[in-house]
Amino acid sequence: MHGSLEELYVEVDMCAPGWERIVDKSPPVTLCARDIIFGEGPVWDKKNQRLIFTDIIGDTIWNWKPGVGKEALLTPSVKANGLALDLENRILVAGWGGRTVFRQEHDGSWKTLADKWQGKKLNTPNDIVVKSDGSIWFTDPPGGMYNVGMVGPDVQRYLETQPVFRIAPDGKTLSIITEDTVYPNGLCFSPDEKILYVNCSRERVIRAYDVKSDGTVGPKRVFFQYTGPERGVPDGMKCDSAGNVWCTAPGGIWVHDPSGKPIVRIKTPGHHPTNIAFGDDDWKTLYVTNIGSVTRFRINIAGVPSR
Amino acid sequence: MTWNFELVAGPFKGRTGGLAWDGKGMLCSAVLEERVVRYDPVTNKADNYRRWTGRVNGLALAKDGSVFGAQEGGRRVIQFLNDGSATPITEFLDGERNNQPCDVALDSKDRLWIADAYNAQAPYGPPTAPMLPFASVLRADPEGPGRYRLNRVTYDTSGPQAVLLSADEKTLYVADGDAARGDVCQLLSYAITEHGSVGHHGKTLLNFQFGERGITGMCLDSDGNIICCMGWRKSGSGAVIIIVSPGGTILETHPAPADFPMRCAFGDADLGSLYLTAGDGGLYRAKGIGRHGLKR
Repeated sequence: MHGSLEELYVEVDMCAPGWERIVDKSPPVTLCARDIIFGEGPVWDKKNQRLIFTDIIGDTIWNWKPGVGKEALLTPSVKANGLALDLENRILVAGWGGRTVFRQEHDGSWKTLADKWQGKKLNTPNDIVVKSDGSIWFTDPPGGMYNVGMVGPDVQRYLETQPVFRIAPDGKTLSIITEDTVYPNGLCFSPDEKILYVNCSRERVIRAYDVKSDGTVGPKRVFFQYTGPERGVPDGMKCDSAGNVWCTAPGGIWVHDPSGKPIVRIKTPGHHPTNIAFGDDDWKTLYVTNIGSVTRFRINIAGVPSR
Repeated sequence: MTWNFELVAGPFKGRTGGLAWDGKGMLCSAVLEERVVRYDPVTNKADNYRRWTGRVNGLALAKDGSVFGAQEGGRRVIQFLNDGSATPITEFLDGERNNQPCDVALDSKDRLWIADAYNAQAPYGPPTAPMLPFASVLRADPEGPGRYRLNRVTYDTSGPQAVLLSADEKTLYVADGDAARGDVCQLLSYAITEHGSVGHHGKTLLNFQFGERGITGMCLDSDGNIICCMGWRKSGSGAVIIIVSPGGTILETHPAPADFPMRCAFGDADLGSLYLTAGDGGLYRAKGIGRHGLKR
């Protein structure tokens, strides 16, 4: 159940021409954290030289520093899930079991930014991303009301749909971006922020939306449809600096070029990846949260900085 | 006496499950539609009681009108509170996560008796916690507002499907065994001690043939007899409802209106009608069956 120490390597398959610009064939893998149950929400905080991640079932938000190790930042976290940093480098949390989006203030306190839509409690915010204008975008599927070990005190759903929400740069105004996805999970922007990618864990698909200047999006289009019997669903998702889309998905971490075509798949034997974050000063280390562990390895292309 | 069943609601998608009479209407789990409906015999309509239930099956009505539900999909018992919210009840037995509760009964001490079975349909979420190496009846004892402690009650069950307490709450009836998993099914009774334990072995009231689908739902009539829905058409006695004395004698057998009869409960003004759920997703009712339900 926990990340394996014996199988600490990655391997690649589904290699398209030019895949070497993404990752080496077998880069050394480091185990960052092991004694967690369900890792999620990794984000690299460059200013403080730390990785922040969540253990949903372990009910904790963790700090991890190279050479130091992990330290609890918030526990219990009401089953916190996705994390991001805002323009002031404050931690934003997709509250999942607690059914809110909240932020750590500069004085260390925690402030709720969103908990209801039109008077009804949100579903369970899953993943979260910040646009350069300061707006906060998050997915709101219902899994945190049902999943074993991941629920909070209220497991009743109230919203009819499973939206992607946007909190305006004022930090208050909530709006629905899309509600056309069965189970929106990971989301990210292209490097120029002209495209929003949202994956759906039920339909096993990544969709793309053109982002308009007014903060809305255009019609959805299929970016990539996963098929095949391998275990896993689209979950955590990030873009690198070339606009490639990285997604934890069936069989490993898939890297798609901007057209959606797979470039390479990075398999992580002994570890079940849930989400990823680019990190370190050059943004060329891939931090991977897994069921039971957090690992990292070097890659050959820089990710989009998380702040 | 022939029982004449009528379809009063549904068929819903997939099997229907737990039943609970709330005094004026019958709550019914449409398990795979993930909702609980409430059938009103006056209007003859079934409206949503709760949606998005996470595959709740067995139901039990609390004194305050709230409803406990055995949530197969979430591996827990939840409580539908009167304010419209729902809260999870404890999910751990001695630090290990329990299986997939499918039935729940409430006693006069507010203790929950839970059939903690295995289930063919996987629970929600990633598989981070294995099932227990045993499938038992569990008891959740209240320890404060909204807080319960789980205890293992049975040690000789292979897959409890339904739980029922006698009128004096001194006997626990357990419908055990999932024929689809290869279990040999039984109807067991246990004498309940003052502290809620039952010893290590129950008394076998009925023992079914291998491959015969046993009992999946039970309720009591006013004489203390056990109304059991059981069986399937492909083997054994077929899909039937039997009436069993507390000592284990089969007093009557009636054909079920649909295959895979799931649960049964008395309802209507005088508790004189028997409601039944089944594998076809229907909610059925037979009026005037010559028996009445037990008023607790």
